[in-house]
Amino acid sequence: MTSAPVEVDRPDVEGEQETAEQTDRPWSTIVWNDPINLMSYVTYVFESYFGYPRTKAHKLMLDVHHRGKAVVAHGSREEMERDVSAMHAYGLWATLQRA
Amino acid sequence: MPFRKDKRAVIAAFTHGPGNSVLVDLRAPEARLLADLFGDLLELLAEEGAARPGAGPVDPLAAQLGLDGLGDDTPAARPDDPALARLFPDAYPDDPDATAEFRRYTQPDLTTERRRRATVALESLERIKGGGRLSLIAAEAAAWLGALNDLRLVLGTRLEITADEQDPGEGFGPNDPRTAYVPVYYYLGYLQETLVEALAG
Repeated sequence: MTSAPVEVDRPDVEGEQETAEQTDRPWSTIVWNDPINLMSYVTYVFESYFGYPRTKAHKLMLDVHHRGKAVVAHGSREEMERDVSAMHAYGLWATLQRA
Repeated sequence: MPFRKDKRAVIAAFTHGPGNSVLVDLRAPEARLLADLFGDLLELLAEEGAARPGAGPVDPLAAQLGLDGLGDDTPAARPDDPALARLFPDAYPDDPDATAEFRRYTQPDLTTERRRRATVALESLERIKGGGRLSLIAAEAAAWLGALNDLRLVLGTRLEITADEQDPGEGFGPNDPRTAYVPVYYYLGYLQETLVEALAG
């Protein structure tokens, strides 16, 4: 408790709206570059698991390789946890975060 | 990710077989080496299972029913062994609680799946004891792919590979026993590359 001037408390309508948006905000699965996984293998994983066409899978792999990471999927938190879990099973280094 | 090395006529390579099968010709020493490696991987994964926090005496029936670990509120910790930590990485970069929760729910099943794949690979090698042509059906090939990748992740971590284009073992002292595994790491990479090609078509 300080002796600073007391602010008047207005109903936090804006805050509530933000919270509602946050729970609807999609999450993303990120795959990170690592020095062990083969480029061909990473491309194959993106094709097999996500069903991406080869060109997209290849491009995503190159993004991971050159930029250090890439967003590979969007969705609900549950869906992204499933994807991250699958990526870990393939041996890729993946995390999830709010989009 | 490392760039693919030049494709010289090295040793074993996977190729397409009839239908969705893949084939590889393995000489006896290669088959033995791979069997040893898959066996080592299984041992490493067994340690992981035993070392899980809250893992008390195992009730075999509970384990069979998948009920062991339920009601266990102990937060799951990242494995201390860097090779295991690489196999079971953190899912939430900025949220240790969510990461622990995710680990608690996914690590046991993922461990089981890894063990299953390595076991499939190990058991398939029994078919060519003494070397020969190994034919794998699609499901076995998929298991090999996962198990080979796990081997490379573990070996790569043990060899302290941290950057693309790094020469594994470059900084090792003259008596470092890990040096023997550098050619194995390259061998596994080549082998896995050919398997990916055979599967990707």
